[in-house]
Amino acid sequence: MTAANVPFLEARKLEKRWKGPIPALVNLLFTLAIFYATWWIFQDPRGYMRLYTPYVGYNYTRWILIVLIWVAYIFDFWPFKRGWMEKAHPVTKGIVLTLLSTGVLLLLIKGFFEGLLGNFAMAYFNPAQLTKLPGVTAFFAEEYAATACLMFAAIASWLSPAWIVAMEAAPWQDLKQPARGLSIWIVTFFLSTLVYFMTMHSHMGILYYPWQYFTAITPPYWEQFADTVSGNFHIAWIMCCTVVVWLVETIWERYPFSAIKNPWTRRLSLFFAIIAISLALNFFLYYAQELAWGEAIRGSRRDAAPDWRWLHVGETAIFFLVPALFLYIYCDNWPKKFSTPVNMLVRTAITVLGGLAIYALYYRYAHLFLGTQKGFSHPQQFPMIPMIWLINIWLINTWFMDNWPGWKLTMKTDAELAAEHAARAAEQTWSPRMVPGMAVGAVAGVALYFLVVWALPVVSNAVNLIPK
Amino acid sequence: MSDNKTPFTRRDFIKGAALGLGLGAIGAMGLYSYSPMSRKHISQVQRKLADFGVCRGVKCKVISETSWFDNGTLMGDIKAAGGLLVDQYTYNWPPFGDGTGLGKGSYDKGIAKIKHLLPHRLEEAWELTKGLSVHPDNAGGFAALVEVEDMDGKVHKYLLDSGWSYKWMDEAFKREGIDKMLANGEIEALIISHEHFDHYWGLPVTLKYAPNIKMYIPDTFYPSGLQYIADSGHKGEVIKVKKGLRPILPGMATYVFDVPIICKVFGEQSLYFNVADLGLVSVTGCCHQGIILFADTAYKELKYENDKFHGLYGGLHISPFDDWDPKYDDLVIGLKKWELEKVGCNHCTGLVTAKKFIDNGYPVVRGTARFRTKDTAYLGNGDSIQFKKA
Repeated sequence: MTAANVPFLEARKLEKRWKGPIPALVNLLFTLAIFYATWWIFQDPRGYMRLYTPYVGYNYTRWILIVLIWVAYIFDFWPFKRGWMEKAHPVTKGIVLTLLSTGVLLLLIKGFFEGLLGNFAMAYFNPAQLTKLPGVTAFFAEEYAATACLMFAAIASWLSPAWIVAMEAAPWQDLKQPARGLSIWIVTFFLSTLVYFMTMHSHMGILYYPWQYFTAITPPYWEQFADTVSGNFHIAWIMCCTVVVWLVETIWERYPFSAIKNPWTRRLSLFFAIIAISLALNFFLYYAQELAWGEAIRGSRRDAAPDWRWLHVGETAIFFLVPALFLYIYCDNWPKKFSTPVNMLVRTAITVLGGLAIYALYYRYAHLFLGTQKGFSHPQQFPMIPMIWLINIWLINTWFMDNWPGWKLTMKTDAELAAEHAARAAEQTWSPRMVPGMAVGAVAGVALYFLVVWALPVVSNAVNLIPK
Repeated sequence: MSDNKTPFTRRDFIKGAALGLGLGAIGAMGLYSYSPMSRKHISQVQRKLADFGVCRGVKCKVISETSWFDNGTLMGDIKAAGGLLVDQYTYNWPPFGDGTGLGKGSYDKGIAKIKHLLPHRLEEAWELTKGLSVHPDNAGGFAALVEVEDMDGKVHKYLLDSGWSYKWMDEAFKREGIDKMLANGEIEALIISHEHFDHYWGLPVTLKYAPNIKMYIPDTFYPSGLQYIADSGHKGEVIKVKKGLRPILPGMATYVFDVPIICKVFGEQSLYFNVADLGLVSVTGCCHQGIILFADTAYKELKYENDKFHGLYGGLHISPFDDWDPKYDDLVIGLKKWELEKVGCNHCTGLVTAKKFIDNGYPVVRGTARFRTKDTAYLGNGDSIQFKKA
């Protein structure tokens, strides 16, 4: 194994410019400043472009995330040379790669979805086609088209990274770029299309009056199970997949699946484990709302509606992704001094607490800064937009700019890479001797779950996050 | 896998325990959370059955349900101004136009142009603001006359909302005789459902005829909205209704919901009536809280005749811009279980929704489609609906 034949992100060694937490704080301030400036320019309802209509801005936000993943994870920065990636100034790289991503984004939304699919396949991808229908205003035509497009994005934001994280880019891991990237891109795009048709097309089909029985399954198959005909039911678990795939990649270090020696067993088990964990998280976050706010009532609006509750599952999951990524990107995935399972557990605890804190801060104060409305369930507000906007900026900062200004880039030597792999292989193991501990831990995990189930209504009654 | 010959250590146990903790918690989350067993942990709300009295009947007269006349124009303005989250006072719609264009206005700049003309020189004020505002002729308004007959046979009149366009609302008031009722003091109070432009910005039209009228508003108004009351020349009592139930008369109460609403508005006040021998009747401005939540709240909180949700009148805010979302189908499907006996809907309910109600067999009271109301599926301008045991 040499630095030249592993992906750029893996071959990098980021060194802090200053000791202690200063680099993390500097980068936090830097990225928050970028966040607020760009939020004002692009999204804020009081700002310059006001893309937060909401779906237009939401659509761009979701697709930027995916394009960033494509550039860094799937195409490994192709067509840029490794030498340029190593030597160019981080700010130059940040600007060039962000501009490239923006170009791809516009080509994709305006060219592929609106232009190609919207004109030659499904009218709901193209606002101009929708305005030909009686009664559809230009505003909602654009919102519907953006909704369809971003629903596709939700699926792609799970499957694209999952092919790298879980499937380890197999079976194309040994190909050179761009063959490797293109192969993965085509497969994940194809799978996203399949999942889109099976989860979201019916949602779009019932946007029309009467329901489009001839072209979509209406009412959709999930109606009785999910207590809604809305595709938000699928948004919920798919968003959980998006979050879990990154938890696996960052704070969980792909463990315990990394301990499986057979490559295909390892890959497939992790791929499906991501889905299983996501479904568990999905059902729990829905249940948590029932515990806090009472049972959902079908047909009601706002925070009592099943469709909003499913959406809020995805929104809540994203709140937990923010601290996990901060821990990984700016805190060197602290802690690292314990065994991998204990490190994972501590990081997970930090992530849960951090996610809850961000959730509380968002609903308490965000309306004062983001130009939005206070309250949980404004029908046109999505906390996923600012959260993913911030995550995008962090990803640009870490993937494109090598954590500048708090860090500087050097490259690992071949020996360092080999040592790192050996250390990981030695540490990330499984032994039957762990079984007694696992049994005790599993009982404690179940007990912890029921403790949370008991506490949620109590906490909900005691705390009101929405200011008067 | 690692070798099994080394002795069992505390480190192994802790590693296993850490892993098991996650496995146990995730397993429980997945297997229990959406299972039938999980229902037993969800608190069941005990019905409070608060008694707010009973009335003999309620009649609602549609003064105006046409808040705006062209969806495309309204949504074009909203789109150009930056979408549904933009503060309504910045749209530069009348009467707060200041000539700077869409999305660039403010309450202070707009009211400064017309304040000196309120509330008595409304024609001049409207002419002035027309020249400074975006699409002034698209403005209409929502208002209804609510007549409550108490158990002694006395009729109490209330005005629900005051519309938007000074010109349109003044014409509508005159057409329905509201101007005289206000001037004669026949109308006991003005109840404002919420701060939206089409329900509230026509306030000076009411005050032109009854500046001392008592007002009930949700206590969630923004400062600009509160200032508009004073700037419009109101001299009477303003009751800021807090979240929850506020009895007005025996058998009549308002209920304020803390809900965030489009165009930067917060909170809505709706009306409950307990009609003798019939049951609960709801009267709403826009019902942003959702009609099912409104019905469910009544079910949990109030005692009413026959324990029956009998009927409703007003805007239901489902597809106000003829937009659609599958969650609205949930409403059309979900509302069925309440077995309503009389439905008078209009305004922000959305024509698509009204037609879906009719398709689904709801007892929709059809209107006459006069005075610019678009369709007989709506209870339209000049129409009325009565809830009273024959």
